[in-house]
Amino acid sequence: MIKRWKAIFLGQKAIMICSILIIIFFGAALLAPWIAPHDPIKVNLLQKLKDPSAEHLLGTDHLGRDTLSRLLYGARISLGFATVIFISSLGIGLIIGALAGYMGGWIDSILMRLCEGIMAFPNLVLVLGVVGIFGPGLMQVLLALMLVQWVYYARVCRNMVVSLKQQNFITAARISGSSSWKIIYKHIIPNIQRPIIVIGTLEMGWAIMDISALSFLGLGIQPPHAEWGAMIHEGTSYIRSHPELMIYPGMFILVVVVTFNILGEALSEKYGVKRR
Amino acid sequence: MLEVANISHQYANRSHWLRRIPPTPVLNNISFTLEKGCCLGLLGMSGAGKSTLGNIILGLEKPTQGQILFEGQDLYRVNTPTRHRIRRDLQVVFQDCYSAVNPLMTAAQIIGEPLDNYEKLTSVQHKQRVKQLLEQVGLRAEDGNKRPHQFSGGQLQRINIARAIALNPKLIVLDESVSSLDMVNQMQILSLLAELKKTHQLSYLFVTHDIRAAMTICDRVMVIDQGELVYQDDMHQSMMQSNHPAVQKLIAAILPEHPSERIVFDHQV
Repeated sequence: MIKRWKAIFLGQKAIMICSILIIIFFGAALLAPWIAPHDPIKVNLLQKLKDPSAEHLLGTDHLGRDTLSRLLYGARISLGFATVIFISSLGIGLIIGALAGYMGGWIDSILMRLCEGIMAFPNLVLVLGVVGIFGPGLMQVLLALMLVQWVYYARVCRNMVVSLKQQNFITAARISGSSSWKIIYKHIIPNIQRPIIVIGTLEMGWAIMDISALSFLGLGIQPPHAEWGAMIHEGTSYIRSHPELMIYPGMFILVVVVTFNILGEALSEKYGVKRR
Repeated sequence: MLEVANISHQYANRSHWLRRIPPTPVLNNISFTLEKGCCLGLLGMSGAGKSTLGNIILGLEKPTQGQILFEGQDLYRVNTPTRHRIRRDLQVVFQDCYSAVNPLMTAAQIIGEPLDNYEKLTSVQHKQRVKQLLEQVGLRAEDGNKRPHQFSGGQLQRINIARAIALNPKLIVLDESVSSLDMVNQMQILSLLAELKKTHQLSYLFVTHDIRAAMTICDRVMVIDQGELVYQDDMHQSMMQSNHPAVQKLIAAILPEHPSERIVFDHQV
């Protein structure tokens, strides 16, 4: 029974369905200005806390703003910034990890001790520290998350490079006259791509969670702009009378993060990647 | 062409902060010369230091002492551009043909890599050259589009040889190049190597522990044991009469046609 569910959840089908869902999420986020029915920050106190209707499909919040529009615009922040964090920390991690693994020696030691230093702190504490120093704001959160996330890529990448370096084809490439950069670019990176994709997909889910969590704490995006975590925060005052104000954005976060996680798990199953 | 003078090498052991671990010596004062067009067999038991010597000659590992003169230039004392230039004349074929090729590249890309690095060819010339190389080692031009997992061990070794001869080098280090192949493939690869040696005026340093393979192709053999050069001769025949235990062990390892015909020396049980 479990095996059958596992097969369905982690098989080719899961990869396809999750990919389609992710494309839909990103499409909705990109097209928000055209498909959102209302202006997400336009206050209309006469319409506040309305139930779902033809005009406001998911109702309105305590300032009369359209919830659906806010969710769609919020997706731009959550997904967009998660993507930026993903790409930049992947880039930094890949370069530093490949450098440490390929060069070895004291360069490796210094870079890996740095990684361990960062990993020793719980992520959120470190992020709170950075935001505490630079003040709240989306850019600061972005920087802080980048600072903590590259470490995972760097570590995995470094370990794989170290084991790849033992392979004869790296030596053969050197003897063929390839420069170190060419070896890293042509031989090492293509061979570590798959595990990196798997980790990247899983980390993407974390990035979305982290952005929402920090926005929930009021450290990320500042009002009146919409963001899922911030919307949950705004909804807390109306939890008894209008719990849906928290439930909708919470559900969106849940669905997106779970989609990324299932995709990551399915990919790791497919590629046979062992997770850290 | 290649002159190895008084090479000694030791591997540094990672020292503990409380106690120093002395380095492990691998090679001790080894000197020999290799003339153009000659195939020199470098024999020895495993762990004797053969591969280390091979790596030193290839310029991959700086020896603790001594020098390697390739056409009069010291491999470890020339500047980087000169070294890059010398390197094209020094190529290698490894034992493990599977790990010697990038599993994600096609055969044509693998063979084309040295050409990309050294020769400025147009894409048409490049393709032509790769095709010619594939044919020289007995593969078909269409095989260029295949990836390593689609080849057998013998075919992969041919690709490795094609990569090694791509730049028309002067010396190829054959680091146990046939040891991982079955008997039939061994013979085929050895005869291919002998043929290429003639057509390309190559010199080989044939690192192996298999005396029979060495006898088929080598003009001269030397035996190293525990980092020391213990035997060096042009004649294969005198080797059979040698009384050095390392040489005798290598001879005893030859598989006879029938187990009862095995050569056993007095001190062996």
